[in-house]
Amino acid sequence: MGVTLEHDDVHGAEAVPTEMAPSVMSTVSSRRKFFVAAAAAAGVLAPREAKAQSIRRAKRKLPEPVRGVSLALAQAAAPPDTQLTVWRDPVARLVRRATLGITKDELARAQKLGFAKYLDEQLKPSSIDDREVAAFLATNYTSLSMTPDALYGADQNKIIAEIQEATLYRAAFSKRQLFERMVEFWSDHFNIDRDKVGYLKITDDRDVVRKHALGRYPAMLKASAHSAAMMAYLDQTSSRRGNINENYGREIMELHSLGVDGGYTQQDVNELARTLTGWTASGRGIFTYDAQIHDFGPKSVLGKTIPATLQGTGLAGKSEADGVIDMLALHPKTARYIATKMTKFLLQYDPTDAMVSAVEAEFNKTKGDIPSMIRVILTEETLVNAPPKYKRPFHWAVSATRALGPTVTSVAVVRNVLDNMGQSLFAWDTPDGYPDKMEFWSGLVLARWNAATSLVGQTGAAFNFNVTPFVGATAEAGADLIIAQLFGGEAPVSLKTRLADYLRPSPTNTARVREAVSLALSSSQFQWY
Amino acid sequence: MAKHVHDTGCDEYNSLTRRSFVGTAAGILAAASSLPAWLPKVVLAQSASTRDIIVSVFMRGGADGLSMVYPFTDTNYYTGRPSIAIPRPDSNTANRGVALNGQFAISNAMSSLVPAFQAGNLLVVHGAGLVYNTRSHFDAQKFIEVGKAQDPNLVTGWLGRHLATSTPMRSTAPLRALGLSQGLQRTLVGAPKTLPVPSPEGFGLGGSTATRAERSAFLRADYAEVDTSIGAPALDALNTVSLLNAINFSGYAPSGGAVYPNSGFGRGMRSAAALIKADIGLEAIQLDVGGWDTHSGQAPIATNGNMARTMTDLATSLAAFHADVLTGGVSYNVTVVVLSEFGRNVRENGSQGTDHGRGSCMFVMGPGIAGGRVLTNNWVPLARENLEAGQDLKVTIDHRDILSEIVSRRLGNTNLGVIFPSYVPTVRGVTL
Repeated sequence: MGVTLEHDDVHGAEAVPTEMAPSVMSTVSSRRKFFVAAAAAAGVLAPREAKAQSIRRAKRKLPEPVRGVSLALAQAAAPPDTQLTVWRDPVARLVRRATLGITKDELARAQKLGFAKYLDEQLKPSSIDDREVAAFLATNYTSLSMTPDALYGADQNKIIAEIQEATLYRAAFSKRQLFERMVEFWSDHFNIDRDKVGYLKITDDRDVVRKHALGRYPAMLKASAHSAAMMAYLDQTSSRRGNINENYGREIMELHSLGVDGGYTQQDVNELARTLTGWTASGRGIFTYDAQIHDFGPKSVLGKTIPATLQGTGLAGKSEADGVIDMLALHPKTARYIATKMTKFLLQYDPTDAMVSAVEAEFNKTKGDIPSMIRVILTEETLVNAPPKYKRPFHWAVSATRALGPTVTSVAVVRNVLDNMGQSLFAWDTPDGYPDKMEFWSGLVLARWNAATSLVGQTGAAFNFNVTPFVGATAEAGADLIIAQLFGGEAPVSLKTRLADYLRPSPTNTARVREAVSLALSSSQFQWY
Repeated sequence: MAKHVHDTGCDEYNSLTRRSFVGTAAGILAAASSLPAWLPKVVLAQSASTRDIIVSVFMRGGADGLSMVYPFTDTNYYTGRPSIAIPRPDSNTANRGVALNGQFAISNAMSSLVPAFQAGNLLVVHGAGLVYNTRSHFDAQKFIEVGKAQDPNLVTGWLGRHLATSTPMRSTAPLRALGLSQGLQRTLVGAPKTLPVPSPEGFGLGGSTATRAERSAFLRADYAEVDTSIGAPALDALNTVSLLNAINFSGYAPSGGAVYPNSGFGRGMRSAAALIKADIGLEAIQLDVGGWDTHSGQAPIATNGNMARTMTDLATSLAAFHADVLTGGVSYNVTVVVLSEFGRNVRENGSQGTDHGRGSCMFVMGPGIAGGRVLTNNWVPLARENLEAGQDLKVTIDHRDILSEIVSRRLGNTNLGVIFPSYVPTVRGVTL
């Protein structure tokens, strides 16, 4: 189900100027895709409140309080630590965290390079030859390099499918795996809903997220603030002197930099929104500063005074917000917030205060250099002690694709199963991004099981899963092959026994083997990384 | 007026009629030794609760309330809509509506609902909607489903919070609510034991049917031995699959001569009826019906017209549900509520359509509803000076007034401060 653009459906308070992008109203079902996740049996869904949570103290996880939902109803618990005993190899642990799915080949390469060199390489994506992927992208997803004007004139359903499939293709097949992990992280951090901004998401993905995913945070924040997509998404395009819209002014502090506990006040939100007046978009999606609608009055944001100036032209008024954004980018609260969020994403749900402080210090020391922070997060010591994390549907779908190692001319089937699993790409409507919480996703496991069945059954040219490498001479040998490819060779004995038992009636029957692979992808073990 | 099933003493009758399509569930019961703990000990027993089951319907796209139920005595309605006003019920024009009272008529396309109205089971609420002024589908749907406008911290839905703050009607039920949808609607977000089920008859493990039981057993064993954080939801999903697969949806025979349209919404209402009669402890079902964003070529009059077809589908589905579930020898404790994110402009635009407006109408149906009326609040002629921004039917009844009364009086939940935060509802006399 694709996006439907209603070119004639622009009304008063819509975010995008009528002369510019079409306002986007999704089809009903695509709009709802992002609530699939809410089926989590615990019923605890508080992405926004989650930001306010400080580091967890208790080992046993309690759900975040949701306004109006009794804590007693929630039964979320800590991830099991069984993997801590199963997962012995620190290099394999690094591969699980730094990639979107461990495979036999990826693990072998990492082991050959060793922990340090593998991480070094992944942190310098330009050093990794990825020409095959680049060639595939250039051939199959031509909209990725289009200008806003060209995107505006293109088939909207097609180009949205392209950005989604390109994202999946890169995540599954690019050798720059850690880069793709960070693209995933920043796509949520600077979340933009394609149902609201349509094709502009393509420009933001290219010019903000991918440009800076392993770069420096301040440059990324600045790029995001100069993104027409972000201006439209957070209603900055409808903010003007005397009639401000606070949305972007709030979210750039609450979600993009300082964090909800960042110490700003409603007055700061209001003043920053005034400072940002004139930051907008024009044409088919070009960031523009419009002095005509800028508020030249005196302002004060986070203690920084901005004196009144005469109504001016040129960029004089724009520099006021530039200065505030520079301040936000390197603010101590920002260092803490970004360090916390990155550590949670890359390492574990509940990092210790000491871990976060080390990352925070690195942020301050390097002025927000993202690879430097990752080096502090992903060490042999931290990885050995990190409990497993639960894969989100995107991570699951990509890791399943990587595990199957198909030959593909299209990843449309992966996009389809991802839609069914509840994480349709770029479709989370609120600016906080898809939650990275186990209890949010764990209720939707049936969709994963059926996705597994769907993927292992693909034998067409578009996505061809060759089952032969998984066929062993005996049931035990078959189980070993599956465990080597899907789990880096490390899985509980009970799973191996169960897989062997499943294969035993006809271990070389390919239909049976496909089912065993599907069951392995469906097993609890494959939900962790 | 329909009687509540639990007051009729017709348990045997109920059991018999249910057995015809809960055959497999009975079969499971027969094998008592392998009875999973989640299965109610006596599937066919009556629930002890007298709370209503709620069937909640969202008309997505901004339904034009003034084409559904219209003030036929108001000349402004006819002058503002030269090509799309529904003809007066007392005219001789083809496809004229049916008068509900001396002021309002229901469109011909929806006249199948007249019996439910006359039986006193259907209430029309007009000028209802979201008080917060937005004409964005995006925001209006969200605010209605969440139950509060402009609160970024509130992410759960009103119905989700109702379920989260009430004890289950049946403690052993593996599933308390479902969204007949690919993804769970925001209205239900936050509800415990709730799943999106696009099609109950097709809900289950894919792949070869020959190995389905074997694969299911593999997964049950695998998830039973892991931490409950992921184990419990997985086992819930397996149990729900068993539960729904035990219901023979395709063999379901509606009672009362009801015929559901073979449309997405019609099939959804039919499934809802089957689920309710299967008595599996389900408390809420959320459905959606689209096609209401009628900016051009609205055509609400001619039987094959654009909006006429949408209205017919809605009305005949609801009427079938009424005949099947809410009337006849057996009726069930069910409240149906139907709403949209906003109505549309009073005056038609240049394309024989209408643009996004404000107030619309809601429908509430059930044996416990004070129906047979068109409920309004300070209804005034649709003259320009009476309209919001000179163009729209004002929202004179907050949709939460209607929902609050349903929640407190029919669903037995008094936690209104949680379900509709920071809102003090006005009692509108929706329920009996």
